[in-house]
Amino acid sequence: MATLPQLFEEDIQQLDDVLREFLRSTDALTAMIIDKGGFLISYQGDSRQFDLTTIGALASGAYLANQTIANLVNEENFDSVYQQGENVSMFATNIDEQSLLTVIFKAQVGVGVVKYYANTAREQIAAQMRIAQERDPGGGLDLSVLNIADTSGLFKRKM
Amino acid sequence: MAIINQATKELQVKIVYYGPAMGGKTTNLVQVHDHVQTAAGNKGKLVSLATSSDRTLFFDFLPIEAMSIKGFKTKFQLYTVPGQVIYNTTRQLVLRGVDGIVFVADSQYEKMTENAESFQNLLDNLKSLRLNLEEIPYVLQYNKRDLPNAAPVEYMEFLLNNRDVQVPSFTSVAHKCEGVFESLNMITRLLLNKYINQNVPQYA
Repeated sequence: MATLPQLFEEDIQQLDDVLREFLRSTDALTAMIIDKGGFLISYQGDSRQFDLTTIGALASGAYLANQTIANLVNEENFDSVYQQGENVSMFATNIDEQSLLTVIFKAQVGVGVVKYYANTAREQIAAQMRIAQERDPGGGLDLSVLNIADTSGLFKRKM
Repeated sequence: MAIINQATKELQVKIVYYGPAMGGKTTNLVQVHDHVQTAAGNKGKLVSLATSSDRTLFFDFLPIEAMSIKGFKTKFQLYTVPGQVIYNTTRQLVLRGVDGIVFVADSQYEKMTENAESFQNLLDNLKSLRLNLEEIPYVLQYNKRDLPNAAPVEYMEFLLNNRDVQVPSFTSVAHKCEGVFESLNMITRLLLNKYINQNVPQYA
């Protein structure tokens, strides 16, 4: 399975710039880049009223479930998923093989504007991901920098 | 696949609890959630997508931030899969991006066929994701050791730990939190050591 490229500070800065610009254009509350395995990669906007880690895990699961449904109805891909609420809505769209752009926005903001600007944003994010990938195509992550001698007891039970 | 974010100094890894239906996967997560020692705010909510009869429908999810390693915040995401046979597509989705697996087997004699089928199902699902168990650290947990009809550990080892490379295995009584943290710490150790021992290039 292809993996997310290793992201450096310059990558994250670029991604955050794209997300900030996206929020400015759409007036959305929060924009997140999520790995399809469920990890939150980066976000901009409100992180206090939302549990973004859990939303990331659930949104990627929901998105992938929808892809499976697409295949079952002989559709190659449901590229985007829109969940409409009374106060807050959510929109998730594909960036590339590894990641998703997920947006939380007030329901009074039309989904059209979110979709429109999300198209530009996801292309810019995908371009930055490609740059990171091409920097080291075979490179995954390198935990050796951590130099962990002993990981036992990483999780301790309360007595 | 684990994610390391050099910009925010964060490391995120995904551990999946796999095994037959009603074997104790969700109980493992509940016990970790209830008993883990963490700094305030480092333990997320345990999210369960379950049916009305408490069977896991999609997955259970528990994010935990463990101690910082060399300045990196280590964030662990623990998932379970639904054990029922009909939810196989969901199991495949949850396995995406997995870094380590805890296979929770049910020790009762009458569950041995289900244990073996679930283990084979794990192999098949990994294959569908172009992964294989030789490349992914995993441990075995033989749960429900307190029941009178529990099979001998040697028998379970023969059934489930009989591959070319034997992996660490633990007996457990998950609802009493016995064997739960032992399994979690071992899988964490295995998966971190796996990456450390890989000869991958250094980054600045």
